[in-house]
Amino acid sequence: MLDDEHERFQVDAQRRLWLIGGGLLGGFSILGGRLFYLQVMKGGEYRNLAENNRISLQPISAPRGRIFDRNGQILVDNRPDFRLAVTPELAGDFLGLIDRLQPIINLSEGQRNAIFKRLHKQRSFLPLQIKSHLTWEEVSRIEAQIHTFPGVTIQVQSIRDYPQGVSAAHLLGYIGEVNERDEQIFPAIHFRSGDSVGKSGMERQYEKELRGREGVREMEVNATGRQIRELRKGPPRPGQDLKLTIDLGLQQAAEAALAGQSGAVVALDPRNGRVLAMASQPSYDPNQFIRGFSSEEWKTLISDPDRPLGNKAIQGQYPPGSTFKMVVALAAMAEGKMDDKEHFYCPGHIIREKHKFYCWRRAGHGQVGLVQALAQSCDVFFYKLAEKVGIDAIERQARRLGLGDVTNIGMAGEGAGLVPSRSWKRAIQGIVWYPGETLITAIGQGYLLATPLQMANMIAAIANGGTVYRPTLVDWAEDELPEVLQWGRINESHLALVKKGLEEVVHGRAGTAKRSKSEWVRTAGKTGTSQVVRHKRKESGMIIKSDNDRHKDHALYVSYAPASPTEEAQLALAVVIEHGGHGSSAAAPVAKKLIDYYFAPPGERDTGSKPDEVGESELDAVG
Amino acid sequence: MRLGRVNLTLSDRRGLLSLGGESPLSWRERFIRFPWSLFLLLVILASVGFVILYSAVGGEDNIRLLFRQMARFGVGLVIMLVLGLMGGEKIYRRYAYLFYGITLALLIAVFFAGTIGMGARRWLSIGGFLLQPSELMKVALIMALARYYHDRSATMRLGSEDLAIPLVMIAVPAAFIMKQPDLGTAIMVIAVGAVIMVVAGLSWQLIVGAITVFGASFPLAWNLLHDYQRRRITTLFFPEQDPLGAGYHIIQSKIAIGSGGVTGKGFMGGSQSHLDFLPERHTDFIFSVLAEEWGFLGGMALLLLYGLIIFRTLIIATQANDRYGVLVSVGMTSLFAFQVLVNIGMVIGLLPVVGIPLPFVSYGGSSLLTLMMAMGFSAHISLYSKHHGRSV
Repeated sequence: MLDDEHERFQVDAQRRLWLIGGGLLGGFSILGGRLFYLQVMKGGEYRNLAENNRISLQPISAPRGRIFDRNGQILVDNRPDFRLAVTPELAGDFLGLIDRLQPIINLSEGQRNAIFKRLHKQRSFLPLQIKSHLTWEEVSRIEAQIHTFPGVTIQVQSIRDYPQGVSAAHLLGYIGEVNERDEQIFPAIHFRSGDSVGKSGMERQYEKELRGREGVREMEVNATGRQIRELRKGPPRPGQDLKLTIDLGLQQAAEAALAGQSGAVVALDPRNGRVLAMASQPSYDPNQFIRGFSSEEWKTLISDPDRPLGNKAIQGQYPPGSTFKMVVALAAMAEGKMDDKEHFYCPGHIIREKHKFYCWRRAGHGQVGLVQALAQSCDVFFYKLAEKVGIDAIERQARRLGLGDVTNIGMAGEGAGLVPSRSWKRAIQGIVWYPGETLITAIGQGYLLATPLQMANMIAAIANGGTVYRPTLVDWAEDELPEVLQWGRINESHLALVKKGLEEVVHGRAGTAKRSKSEWVRTAGKTGTSQVVRHKRKESGMIIKSDNDRHKDHALYVSYAPASPTEEAQLALAVVIEHGGHGSSAAAPVAKKLIDYYFAPPGERDTGSKPDEVGESELDAVG
Repeated sequence: MRLGRVNLTLSDRRGLLSLGGESPLSWRERFIRFPWSLFLLLVILASVGFVILYSAVGGEDNIRLLFRQMARFGVGLVIMLVLGLMGGEKIYRRYAYLFYGITLALLIAVFFAGTIGMGARRWLSIGGFLLQPSELMKVALIMALARYYHDRSATMRLGSEDLAIPLVMIAVPAAFIMKQPDLGTAIMVIAVGAVIMVVAGLSWQLIVGAITVFGASFPLAWNLLHDYQRRRITTLFFPEQDPLGAGYHIIQSKIAIGSGGVTGKGFMGGSQSHLDFLPERHTDFIFSVLAEEWGFLGGMALLLLYGLIIFRTLIIATQANDRYGVLVSVGMTSLFAFQVLVNIGMVIGLLPVVGIPLPFVSYGGSSLLTLMMAMGFSAHISLYSKHHGRSV
């Protein structure tokens, strides 16, 4: 019985054992089949995956091109920025370490929170950035006790530096992190997120030249991203350096002369259109865009009514005021409506269609010819001249001198100015041109608008005999010919007469800029005052002064030097002082300072602010 | 007291440690009957394991890990020889319940006083030694179940209580192990227990009935789970849903294996293995290292080696002299085989990652020593097999 039972079990158990064995064999077959699938059938595919797994391409940033002035003074540089980083894995007690660093680096509550937030997002063997833009003192204090800070490193990174600070800030521009708009503007450049890109000025205009091409390092990495070794290295191609036509000394002289005021100065070489200085005040420090603004600083900057971020030299558009009178004179002579004997009587105003058109001088200038009219800026003379010439000829002459259209100097946001005409008025306002509008156009008011750059270019053309060059900022090569916008088509005798008038402005006994004679050189110029708001006048015609400074007129002055029949003019400039009042008192003295600086014999120069001779000392990489 | 009898037999000169009335086997006989082919296969397997481990730990730099593993294997061989050669007739069967009871007590002690490591409470510190009762339980349960069915079948046919009582014997330790949590070991305990119940001779109706009830309870349990618990289970089975978390291991492992191709990248040549892409590469995922460096051929060779060992231990089961012997040896065989299947299955992406080491190849001591115990008990069965007409 028991044996039977055992016998029966034995038979049954054998069956069941082989069943188990069969099941196991089945399991092993599945494993084998799966291995066949993964290794034999899909082997190539996984081999590719494995290759991608272990190679990480890391960009090596290309040093961005530097920018120099015409004399090789550095305007934009790269400098090492010291950053404190902590590798949490090595730090051990991360919180304690940060607390011990606190007396040295003074983190704000917000910065600390941001660090702790990032701490949990990042792999712990990668250095976590704690603070950038360390000062020398901070670096040396940390370096001195670095052995007591486990996991702490000082990293050096190249960042943009603007050693001249606020000087030429609008011209040079600044860089910032690339955004979608930048990518559309530079479709040829392959940006990666976090890349820097020129946001304005030269930095933006010459982005392609300045940025160079980044290199690449092929690193073998493990699964967590830890680098094992370098496999291959493609070196970066550094960005091209840029040499500007700007003369830093003149630029700083211009800025010093404008200091405390809102306005712009453009100085050109009339012989070729090269921009020697382009200043706009107030300015800003582009280094702040690299460091980052506090919200308070940013608010202050953008809410300033004097628009520190705007480049008034090319974006500011002002009625050219009396500086436009030379255009009217040239138009009249070109049309044959005036010769050197033409005289008009100025009683202080004229009446046309029941409107009184005043001369700035209530008492009138009496009998004046062109030279005196320019020198004393007689309005009535030009009212009467304009009546003879007509708006069409004035418009033609204005355009011939480069007004009313962008110069395409190569900076974003350049204003085109405005030269009105009959057709323009019909198109914009739908009504006819009134004769009275010709009169106020003749004294540079009304619809007329010009940028300081256009005004400088206009006076440069007069100085050089009538050729309008395209203003350039970049000193490419010695043999490159300047680009011409308008060839000189001004009759020499016409020009000589106007120039005589412009010289009288400075050197005549009644000249409006006679107090701004240069110590070193004979100059010519034209003052201007452009109306900001329509003046209220008394019955007598006296202007009722507004108390609001913002209603004060803009002061203008255009000038060239030297003014001599034998010598070519080397400097042409335009000065605009917003709400400065009169051109003679506010703008002409600024021009004088520039001219004095530019023509002073070496050793006699007084720039007000000396260019930084030392510059940034070369910093050795620490840590 | 039974312990008294142990003392008594210690002085028995004819057979050290042997018990029972019949004349014990002589040492010569024991040596002749010992399954040396199994012993040899295990030594070969372990040697292959050392080669793979050498590469997995990164070569010379971590050679001490290899030496430590070799030492463990040496201890394991001694355990196997002692258990296999020195155990007398019926002795293990006699103490099976006691062994099970003590192990269960230890397992419960772990629950209250265990040492926590790697997020689980698995170890018990006894006199400086870290003991992992869940590992011991694998062997203890096999022996206790075998003893149960052996005793029952001597007198009557198996009924439904023979389904219920063993289920409890399995479920209680499984529950404690699950709680540690050690899902892999718990599954292993349940699977091995199930194999013994099948081979023990339960009627097919009972087996099918049990499976049906078990299967039917699944949807019910699923509905009772919280969302996060369900999610945890779904990622277990579909790791690709979480490629940076749970799925990461398995994806990297598949890349390593697949990129090995037919012939592999050569010894120490596995980029995935050596660049830390492969997690746990010297423990649970060591098969990936083998497959990457030795390719399909190497993988198949290892499977073949495992197959031979399983076949050899299964032979022991078929030749066992009584029900206890059959059940113990099939239990030990399935314990070994399931670990191989589950480990490789998870490494090649067929099964969820549950944390089962690859027998004799993965770095680590607990599992190795448990398996050596199992091999020792199997060898002991072999000594007293049918051909020798002895009962164990």
